[in-house]
Amino acid sequence: MIAALGRWALTVFARTGRASLMLLAILAGLPSVLPRPRLLVRQLYSVGVLSLPIIVVAGLFVGMVLALQGYTTLADFGAAGSLGTVVALSLVRELGPVVAALLYAGRAGSALTAEIALMKATEQLSGMEMMAVDPVRRVLAPRFLAGILAVPLLAAIFTAVGILGGYLVGVGLLGVDDGAWWAQMQAKVQPLRDVVNGVVLKSFVFGVVANWIAVFEGHDAQPTSEGIGRATTRSVVNTSLAVLGLDFVLTALLFGGVR
Amino acid sequence: MNPSRTVEVLVGAFVMLGLAALVFLAMQVSGLTSLGADAAYRVHARFENVGGLKVRSPVSMAGVRIGRVTAIDIDPQTFQAVVELSISSRHANLPADTSAKILTSGLLGEQFVGLEAGGADAVLKDGSTIKLTQSALVLENLISQFLFSKASEGRPETPAPAPGPAGQP
Amino acid sequence: MPDVPDSPAAADSLVRIRGLRFLRGTRVIFDGVDLDIPRGRVTAVMGPSGTGKTTLLRLIGGQLRPAAGSVVLDGHEVPALRRRELYALRRRIGMLFQSGALFTDLSVFENVAFPLREHYPRLPARLLRTLVLMKLEAVGLRGARDLKPAELSGGMARRVALARAIALDPMLMLYDEPFTGQDPISMGVLVQLIRTLNDALGMTSVVVSHDVAEVCSIADYVYLISGGRVVASGTPAELRASGSDWVGQFMHGLPDGPVPFHYPARDYASELLDGGGRS
Ligand SMILES: Nc1ncnc2c1ncn2[C@@H]1O[C@H](COP(=O)(O)OP(=O)(O)O)[C@@H](O)[C@H]1O
Ligand SMILES: [Mg+2]
Repeated sequence: MIAALGRWALTVFARTGRASLMLLAILAGLPSVLPRPRLLVRQLYSVGVLSLPIIVVAGLFVGMVLALQGYTTLADFGAAGSLGTVVALSLVRELGPVVAALLYAGRAGSALTAEIALMKATEQLSGMEMMAVDPVRRVLAPRFLAGILAVPLLAAIFTAVGILGGYLVGVGLLGVDDGAWWAQMQAKVQPLRDVVNGVVLKSFVFGVVANWIAVFEGHDAQPTSEGIGRATTRSVVNTSLAVLGLDFVLTALLFGGVR
Repeated sequence: MNPSRTVEVLVGAFVMLGLAALVFLAMQVSGLTSLGADAAYRVHARFENVGGLKVRSPVSMAGVRIGRVTAIDIDPQTFQAVVELSISSRHANLPADTSAKILTSGLLGEQFVGLEAGGADAVLKDGSTIKLTQSALVLENLISQFLFSKASEGRPETPAPAPGPAGQP
Repeated sequence: MPDVPDSPAAADSLVRIRGLRFLRGTRVIFDGVDLDIPRGRVTAVMGPSGTGKTTLLRLIGGQLRPAAGSVVLDGHEVPALRRRELYALRRRIGMLFQSGALFTDLSVFENVAFPLREHYPRLPARLLRTLVLMKLEAVGLRGARDLKPAELSGGMARRVALARAIALDPMLMLYDEPFTGQDPISMGVLVQLIRTLNDALGMTSVVVSHDVAEVCSIADYVYLISGGRVVASGTPAELRASGSDWVGQFMHGLPDGPVPFHYPARDYASELLDGGGRS
């Protein structure tokens, strides 16, 4: 029992160590991606463009539900005019970055892990190494970079679409005053504190974590079909846990002091 | 169009869409536009207590938004709050004896500065001060005054209103 | 050591392996292997599957590090090379993987063009095309250039991989089981091809295989490895004539002999009688 616990701890330490070393190698390889924008564009397509439908649809519905729920509560206090503020703040600070990162992990992160793991299992990565092409630079670094660019963009799109969805329900359906919706929102949502900290900074951190985990799990997978399945699952689960945990820390750091 | 060209175009569209969303969040949602969009002039008003008034809180007249609060400070001599209001130049004809009140939108809504026009011929100019002001109603003070007066009368009447999240806008 | 190989003259060997020791976990794969790959020749490494032939190629290519011993390739001590030096050395090595290891998202043409594009990004498109078609022509698959790897048979995929491996005109070609999965015709073509490439381009070749007949028809020198060490070496003719049981069993494909057919295990009967208890 104790021995098993010890072995488990050793495995965790070893994995953390390998993941950190790999992150360093990827960061060192990033400069070699810049002169080759085509590699980046290809990856932005598969992690960004292909994630767009689910991000837009989910953002729309989340915004609509937020407006519907918020309205019932706010109307009781005669504060339905603040509906825009509630919807926008929830989305900008929390739901936008978090839900976008979770959807990204499911849609793009899992695919990234599976792709890299399969390339490893079919010796494509080994083959590249023997052709004197470093797979970390040629395969991992462009995917990582594309991923950390895509996540904040997806979060911004998710948030904007969510606010529009809330607008449709709040103003279009529930009859909140159009002017009040935007005016109250603009009075309360601050460009630096909320938009930059929330949508940009938070989702950048989430993007780094999500893509780091996805790429690492793929590269570290057992080269068997079972191993690839396990790695894909682990990629999604670990990313989700990391995003939710980090969100708590980031919210405390970024918004904790400010009311 | 060959496939790699299609990919490039789609990725370009994706990046633009993401940036447009960010601009939308900055301008429309957090109101960067209404800051310096049109010319404005500044007037000051002194209050005993501004309650939960904040920089960027709205300034309105007859329920219509005409400007916003740009600064809140303490006068080092009188220890009163000095509030700087930025009012759109479209409303440059406010009478000099206009009065300012700190009001709350709804029971729990945010606080804002409400202006009421007076009857003087002279108008407020950039840098002038509003003389007639009424401070924010601070719920705790109201409640304690109410309870105090009831207690001194010696006969409890209607129960006191439930204290809300006082002090918060 | 029972059969110390009568090594070719060390002076003109491209690869020299001495006292090689390698472990997978606690399992010893190699224990004191000495081996020389003569320059300009075709050297075969044979042995039962699972003895570590692929592992040996990976050790030469620097993808694995030995626990002890030295692997010297063209004057460089491979395990001691720094990353940059190792990659520079690998540009001059071609390796044909057992699985082919083609990039599944690229066409046949792009697969062969890959190392060229990576190492010579400014190569003019016309020249690139000419080079790629030349390599594909050499393996007889010029017509398949627009197919995806998924549309190829195993044997065709191996030949595309070969075209890719020779794209950079390496000085050393490592072939991992090139003959498995080939039909008799392409097998013959491949045997010819390895020999021709080696002689025409002045390469050095290492062929790992257990197809005795094919290997003997092209190899200049053969190493037989088993149980973590070199058990015999010599020209094909010498080995055929060898009196050793090991060599005889392998060269003539006898099922039983000193080379065990079974992976090390407990006694068969006692394991069967042992019912449920899994160890
Ligand atoms: N990644 C690995 N992890 C652990 N053991 C391995 C690994 N790859 C190969 N082995 C073991 O090393 C031995 C040699 O493998 P290999 O070199 O592939 O043999 P072969 O001679 O058939 O090419 C095998 O018995 C195999 O069990
Ligand atoms: Mg093998």
